[in-house]
Amino acid sequence: MLTNPTVSLEDAILAASAALAAAKPGDGPVAVCVTNENGDTVYLVRQDGTSAVDVRNAERKAYTAAFIGRDTSVYRAQLAHDGRTVADWADERVTTLSGGWTLRRESQVIGGIGVAGSGGEDRDERLALAGAEAAARLAVDAWRAQRGPRP
Amino acid sequence: MFTRKSLGLDDAKRALDAILGALTPADNPIALAVADDHGVSVLCLRQDGAPPRMLRRARAKAYTAANLGMDTVVFRDDVVKATSRTLDDWGDPMITTLQGGLTVRSAGEVVGGIALSGNTTTRDEGLARIGLEAMGVA
Repeated sequence: MLTNPTVSLEDAILAASAALAAAKPGDGPVAVCVTNENGDTVYLVRQDGTSAVDVRNAERKAYTAAFIGRDTSVYRAQLAHDGRTVADWADERVTTLSGGWTLRRESQVIGGIGVAGSGGEDRDERLALAGAEAAARLAVDAWRAQRGPRP
Repeated sequence: MFTRKSLGLDDAKRALDAILGALTPADNPIALAVADDHGVSVLCLRQDGAPPRMLRRARAKAYTAANLGMDTVVFRDDVVKATSRTLDDWGDPMITTLQGGLTVRSAGEVVGGIALSGNTTTRDEGLARIGLEAMGVA
C-alpha cells in the first residue's frame, strides 16, 4: 500500500497568496493556479483584469510543473538540449512558458504552481517562485515539528 | 465600443465564504467554480478529498450557466429534454446539463456563473444559491 503526499487546499491557498503578495508595482493582474501531483487543479484564482489566456496559461504551467515534474523553464532548456518540441509529449496541456514551479515534499512531487499575466515570463516565474518557496517553508515546518525540539 | 459587466474576484470570494460557512458535517468535500460572463474561471477550488472530476464538473456547470445564460437544470428541462436534443447539438464539450450551475445576473445582464459539485445535484444547487445570494449583485 502506498501513501502519496499531495497538496492540500490549505497549502494551495497559502502558496497562491504568497505568489500574489510578491507582485511589485507595474506587474499586471495575474492568474495563479495550484495543482496536485497529477496536474489536477486544487485552487485557481484570477485577479480582476486578467485575460482568459492568462487563466489558461496559469493552469497549463502548473499542470506541466506537476505532471512533468520540472519547473517549466528547466523543461524548456531540456527540450532545447534534446532537440525536441512539446509536441513530442502529445499533451495539449503541456507548456514551456516560464512561470511554472514544481512543488515537492521530501523529494517527491506533490504538486505544481503556475502564474501568468504579470507582463513577462520572467516576472511570472518570480511570482510563482515566491509561491513555491512558501510551500517549501511548510515542508520545513512539518519536518521540524516531526523532529521535535533540539536536544 | 460597449462595456460589459462581469464578476470580479471580490464577488467570488464573498460567495466562497458564504458557501464554506453553510457546509455541514454531512456534506462531502466540495468543488466550487465561479466564472465570468464568458464562462472563464475567476475562482476555482477543490476541498481535500474531493476527486478532480468534481472540479471538472463544477467548471462545466459554471461555464454553461454563464455562457447560455440559464441555470443548468433549466437548460436540461426546458431546452435539452423539451426539444429532444442531445448535448452534441451544441458542439461545445464544456456544456453540461448537470444540475448545480446558476447564472449570475446584475440588473438582468449575465455577469457570470457559479457552480458546485461534490454532493447530490440538488444540494450542489442549494449551496450555489447561497453563494449567489451572498454575492449580492442581483
